[in-house]
Amino acid sequence: MSPLWALALSPLPLAGAVLLKRAWDRPSPERPWLIAGGWGLLVLAVAASVPLMGAARGPFAMLTLASMVALALVAAGVERRNAKKKAARELAPEPSDRKRVVWRGWLRGFLAGPLAGIAAMGCGLAVAICAPGQIQSRMVIGGLMVPFLWAGGMAWTLSDDKILRATAVLVGVSVVTLGAAFLKGAL
Amino acid sequence: MDGSTTAPTKAKPKVGKPIWPKVPAEFVRAMLAGHSALGLAFAALIYVVCFSGSIAVFTYEFMRWEQPERPVLHEVSPQAADAAFRAVLAKNPKAHDLFIRLPEPSSPRLSVHGDDAQGGEHTWYADATGKLVGEQKTPWSTFQATLHTVLHLPRAWGGFIVGLTGVALLSSLVSGVLSHPRVFKDAFAFRWGGSKRLQEADLHNRISVWGLPFHLIVSLTGAFLGLTLIIVGVLALATFKGDTSKAYALFTGPSVKDDPRPAAKVIDIAAILTNLKARYPDARASYLYVEHPGETGQHASVNLVTEGRLSRGETVIVDGTAKILGEVGYESGSVGLRVLATMTPLHFGWFGGWPIKVAYLLLGLGLTSVTSSGVAIWLARRRDKGRPAPRWERVWTAFVWSQPLGYAVSALAALVVPAPPVAVWGAVTLLATATAIAWTPKAISAALRLATAGFLVLTAIVHVAVNAGRIADPVAWIIDASLIATAAILAGSVWLSRPKATA
Repeated sequence: MSPLWALALSPLPLAGAVLLKRAWDRPSPERPWLIAGGWGLLVLAVAASVPLMGAARGPFAMLTLASMVALALVAAGVERRNAKKKAARELAPEPSDRKRVVWRGWLRGFLAGPLAGIAAMGCGLAVAICAPGQIQSRMVIGGLMVPFLWAGGMAWTLSDDKILRATAVLVGVSVVTLGAAFLKGAL
Repeated sequence: MDGSTTAPTKAKPKVGKPIWPKVPAEFVRAMLAGHSALGLAFAALIYVVCFSGSIAVFTYEFMRWEQPERPVLHEVSPQAADAAFRAVLAKNPKAHDLFIRLPEPSSPRLSVHGDDAQGGEHTWYADATGKLVGEQKTPWSTFQATLHTVLHLPRAWGGFIVGLTGVALLSSLVSGVLSHPRVFKDAFAFRWGGSKRLQEADLHNRISVWGLPFHLIVSLTGAFLGLTLIIVGVLALATFKGDTSKAYALFTGPSVKDDPRPAAKVIDIAAILTNLKARYPDARASYLYVEHPGETGQHASVNLVTEGRLSRGETVIVDGTAKILGEVGYESGSVGLRVLATMTPLHFGWFGGWPIKVAYLLLGLGLTSVTSSGVAIWLARRRDKGRPAPRWERVWTAFVWSQPLGYAVSALAALVVPAPPVAVWGAVTLLATATAIAWTPKAISAALRLATAGFLVLTAIVHVAVNAGRIADPVAWIIDASLIATAAILAGSVWLSRPKATA
């Protein structure tokens, strides 16, 4: 029965998304209430899922279904445009135009890939080895930090124009964290 | 994400001041540059991993579809599980280990996996009495699962590349959110037709924003699962002089000393299951991993699933006399162990029954289309700036639609010929991508979608014909119907996008 609870609760996030869309559609005195009501219903759906589907399982199930129903609502509101008429464009942000310099490209790739990975691994290792708490918890939390920090490092190094600053920070983080981890060296 | 948008039309009322803080334009532009570079570098890999992951959600159901004649069992007695175990052990009494899978809602079958005397691996299905009824032959299900987890490469390399792809996806999510200052202002804007770039940008941004919780969960858990080997390897290097087994031992619960002397009697699966039922009345055993059967050091790791929990289950270690030695702690241990136990269910959507699986399939395909539209936006931007890349436009369109076609053709081939599905998939991917040489993007897209639709219908028909009169598992019918429905959607999409006659 419990999988069906997810379906039974799905009208709540749907109603929440409808309220948010009404707030988005047009300005009105009720707009703050619609926004508060929309988010409130989404929170209520997550809260209601806890006793019905489990403390950890319910919220994840509701987040998944809330994404689904919100996207369905967006799709339902599709605005068809005439392909022949090209719409007037606002000044949309364009990616910054960087000078194409070969060594900078290679260095940027090295920073985003191996070096950010080593720095992230160093942070994860430092947590796994040096942080307080049970061994398994330190290892799993440290392990989960690795992809997250690596991703953050990738995003930063690929967008930061001050490439030498990024190099210095990543090298510094790698040296400090890996040094601490290998110096302590025992769980 | 792309920041493209249009000026509001007169009919559209203004939506008021944005509540998102003003982000400096230079920062947005720099983030977009990084987002583009990363997306383009990993586009094909992210696309394959996302597409294959969406399909892999239904791995168990595909296994049932491939052999729909096998007995559907919702429960089996401990004695039946024991009988199946002994029957497989009798085929190779020196087996190092045996893996017994008990019926579950998603996989209502009793099976035992083991190796033969020559080292070949086999999985046998059993009926409700534990009598073996035939060998498991699910080449296509195995193909698609392996493509997602290791890209059919050696485990260490494949896992690393898939994990790195997860990191790149996670990074794209971070840079995409930071480069999208109109996240609330455009929250429900979805315009189709008109400017190609605007259309793709709306599709890209809406799916990205509303699917963000799902995208973050699957990319983080996927990167973690893929990079496990390397993370544990480095950890072991720092702490155990490179001995990874010591690192893994922290997650395997009570250990049983290896003792190869013959045991007085072979481990009793029925007794183990009965003991566990008495100790854990609310839990259901989902599988048993029996090591060194017939030796004095024989023991089993039993996974127990409790309804309503997110975790993959608690693992209990039992010795050769069916005595419970203790739990690993996936549900009762440290925070780390409990988090670890949720990684696989969260990544594959195996925690909330079929509604969550369907949602994972659709959201996964949404993420796949985000990848596809990201490259399309870049190509459209080049075209808008007067620097079109027509060859890449054709190649990308062909590659995108090569994957559904490759899956459809390999599924059909797996039903009728003994060719490895990965070879068929690879050949179809190459051939479909090669259409870029001759056709326009629109023609490639339409032709490959129609071909996929045709092969999906053919797969369903051949599946029913091959298994005529012996389909015992209703899931097989549901999948056949879903294949036909997918074919109809694809064909319909071609019909809707056909050029309209002008008045």
